[in-house]
Amino acid sequence: MLILQVLVYAVLIGGIYALLASGVTLIFGVLDVVNVAQGAFLVFSAYLTWQVWVVTGWEPLLLIPVMGALMGAIGWAIYRGLLVRVVPQGPGMTVLLMFGVALILEGILNVVFGTTFKSVTPDYFTSSLKFGSVVLPYPQLLSGIIAFLVLVGLWAYLRFSWAGKALRASAQNADGAALVGISAKKAAGYAFALGAAVAGIGGVLLAIMYPIFPATHYEWIARLLGVVVLGGFGSIPGAAIAALLLGTMEAFATTFIPQWAPIFFYGTILLILVFRPQGIMGVKTREDVA
Amino acid sequence: MIEKLKTPQGYIPLALLGVLALIPVILPDSQYEESVLIACMLLAIMASGWNLISGLAGYVSLGHTVYLGIGMYTGAIAGKNWEIDPMYLMPLGGLVSAVVAILIGSIVLRARSHAFVIITIAALWTIQLIAQIAKPFTGGADGIVIKPPSWANELGTTPYFYIFFGILCLTILLARFVMNSRLGAGLVAIRNDEGKAASIGINTTVYKVTAYALSAVPFGVAGAVYGQYLSFVNPLGAFNILASVILVLAALVGGRGTLWGPVIGGFIVGFANEFSTVVASGAAARVLVLGLVLVVVVMFLPAGLLPTVREWLKKRREKSTAVNFIDQTSIATATERVDTTAIQSRVIQDRLEGKYLLEVKDVVKTFGGVRAVDGVSLGIERGSITGLIGPNGSGKTTLFNCMTGIYTPDSGVVTLSGRDITTNRVWTRAHKGLGRTFQITRLFKSMTVLDNLVAPLERTSPQEMVAGRYSGEEVARAREILAFMGLQDFEKQEARALSFGQQKLVELAQVLMLRPSIVLLDEPASGINPTLIGKLSNVIRSLNEQGTTFLIVEHNIPLVLSLCSTVHVLAGGQVLTSGTPDEIRNDPLVIEAYLGPDASLEAPVD
Repeated sequence: MLILQVLVYAVLIGGIYALLASGVTLIFGVLDVVNVAQGAFLVFSAYLTWQVWVVTGWEPLLLIPVMGALMGAIGWAIYRGLLVRVVPQGPGMTVLLMFGVALILEGILNVVFGTTFKSVTPDYFTSSLKFGSVVLPYPQLLSGIIAFLVLVGLWAYLRFSWAGKALRASAQNADGAALVGISAKKAAGYAFALGAAVAGIGGVLLAIMYPIFPATHYEWIARLLGVVVLGGFGSIPGAAIAALLLGTMEAFATTFIPQWAPIFFYGTILLILVFRPQGIMGVKTREDVA
Repeated sequence: MIEKLKTPQGYIPLALLGVLALIPVILPDSQYEESVLIACMLLAIMASGWNLISGLAGYVSLGHTVYLGIGMYTGAIAGKNWEIDPMYLMPLGGLVSAVVAILIGSIVLRARSHAFVIITIAALWTIQLIAQIAKPFTGGADGIVIKPPSWANELGTTPYFYIFFGILCLTILLARFVMNSRLGAGLVAIRNDEGKAASIGINTTVYKVTAYALSAVPFGVAGAVYGQYLSFVNPLGAFNILASVILVLAALVGGRGTLWGPVIGGFIVGFANEFSTVVASGAAARVLVLGLVLVVVVMFLPAGLLPTVREWLKKRREKSTAVNFIDQTSIATATERVDTTAIQSRVIQDRLEGKYLLEVKDVVKTFGGVRAVDGVSLGIERGSITGLIGPNGSGKTTLFNCMTGIYTPDSGVVTLSGRDITTNRVWTRAHKGLGRTFQITRLFKSMTVLDNLVAPLERTSPQEMVAGRYSGEEVARAREILAFMGLQDFEKQEARALSFGQQKLVELAQVLMLRPSIVLLDEPASGINPTLIGKLSNVIRSLNEQGTTFLIVEHNIPLVLSLCSTVHVLAGGQVLTSGTPDEIRNDPLVIEAYLGPDASLEAPVD
């Protein structure tokens, strides 16, 4: 039954990867920016969750709306204060800027919290739900379900609300969207805030699932880039499928060949970007260039 | 660059290098100072190497320390097996790095912009992971301990200092050589507009891979000795993403794309790095300082120190000299008869096979469900001026793109002088004598008109790549062509300063540098004034008299009918009809398909 156990675990973790990657893919879709600081946003939010939990002892999951709003606000401020001026300089510079932001966040965590692992351990941390031989630890189960709900909510929001339609319009053609009254700058700021808010929510889930450490943001961004690249930049359904695929591969690899687990993400990035840059669900746009 | 050295400022960096070389003599027994300077020099070496691919060609690599790591492991592993000091394996380190870079580069350089940046990071992580897993060779996560050289106790770090100093000097020479060569000019062209660079005969793949491999060499050479200097090598240290970012920061601070910028930046960032480690007492806060510096540099100094200072100096100087305004009519009236050998097309050397110079047979190209070109066959007669017209959406542009190599047709054949070029790359077509212009001009905007003209390449060869930027007869020919077009006064202007119509003429002049046997003009008359349209027609006619064949895709029907000997009409992805201007003018089918039932083609010219 080991296989079934791993599979169930893979679906739960895949849901979380899908949620986290949806933030990266949303930001890329609208802004054309690869947000390499998304992993740092995530870890930053996890540390704040830990701090609140240590001080108050409240149920960490209740912090989800707070952390979402807080990281959303930070994201918006980063966009309006920094990113908006660098976007015209092209992808190389925006990646460097966001790398700088990631280092600042990592540095703040290093200085404030020190470089030791921290864990949020609410009372259900060690208990689990059992179906026959399949064991579902509560933190994983709850996180997986919440991630899935938030992801569906995000998708429905982008799909059906006016703001979501405006964002998608701006993603497809910013100039055209501007002509029908959608400010590209506002749309971009909104998308970046939304993407960061997703990381804020993800940070809470991360905090109850894993021990956290400032430099782990590299591992997270590697995973998220793998998911986003495989799913196709800008596609949320693509990210969801890719997250399940890669989550499953990682779960099996971690069980059977733990050393090799990260190679799926790195290898995916290399292979997909070289041979099918649009990913599995992305659209190849027509370009009149050689 | 050579001119720079003639000015007094040009000697400042050389003087500073001289001072640097004397430091161990001035300050003997200063291990700490030497170690800081070694770190700075290593950073300067890496930033200069990185500059070759990322500064010149604009392909930003965030994983370039992978080549330092490869040099370190090459030195450590080979040194251990052969029982020699890794520092003697510096050439091997450079060689292995270059070979790996060619292998990786020929794959990853297919990706552009975002994708390239991410790939370089992923490649770094992948190789780091492999180094961790391949324990029998690399010692796994623990790495390999390297024995210090026999002189280590006596001489301390001073020999290392001079080794790194030597590598730095060689790296600067390499960068200088590349920048002054046609390879460097081509890389800058690629950074400006890669598609355009390909269309004027620059083999962008070979250029990028060459630059990428050359950029890895200083890393590999330095890596072999750096491993011994550190006395160990492990995966986390050798393939470090943070070090990759720091070296990019160094190049950024000094100035990407310049010779001395990355060197200056290496020392600035090296000192800052050391300072923040000392002041912040530990690596934890160093990350914070680095992040802040990176954000500040990207925000406020994106061009880097050196270019910013140069720009400032230039502005101060230029205040005194007024910019000449060049009257547009001077171009229109200038019809100097110059030596026509400069603009001679290659038609003479071509095998004179068949009636058609350029021919498409049964070409089909679909986008999704749309058959944009649906089985088109037509030929362009040698020595003719042929027009290709048709309503919007008729497939003109798609057919044009199949001819120029931007698209490969789904089926069908494209031949040039009887040779199949259907799957040839864009630059190969340019080498075979097919030149093109763009509807919206795509000159290299930050380069001067003359630089734009010497950029095209008639072939790809190692000799061509290492040749000096302005050597050979290119400059003389460029001037002759400019004179022929009446553009001689514009030689030193930056392309972006020209009007759109002037840019169109310059773009045609640029294509003529390829000695094309056929020139494909994409809507040459769109967006330019009647005077220049007249000028353009004259230029086309006189080039045609000297043997150049033209294919013109154009919406200005009167112009096409007055200029062309044969006109093909496309509609709905198929050839509606072909004939002389008179036949087309009177063909009711054309008039109806093209302009609607009540129109006529007797609109006034221009």
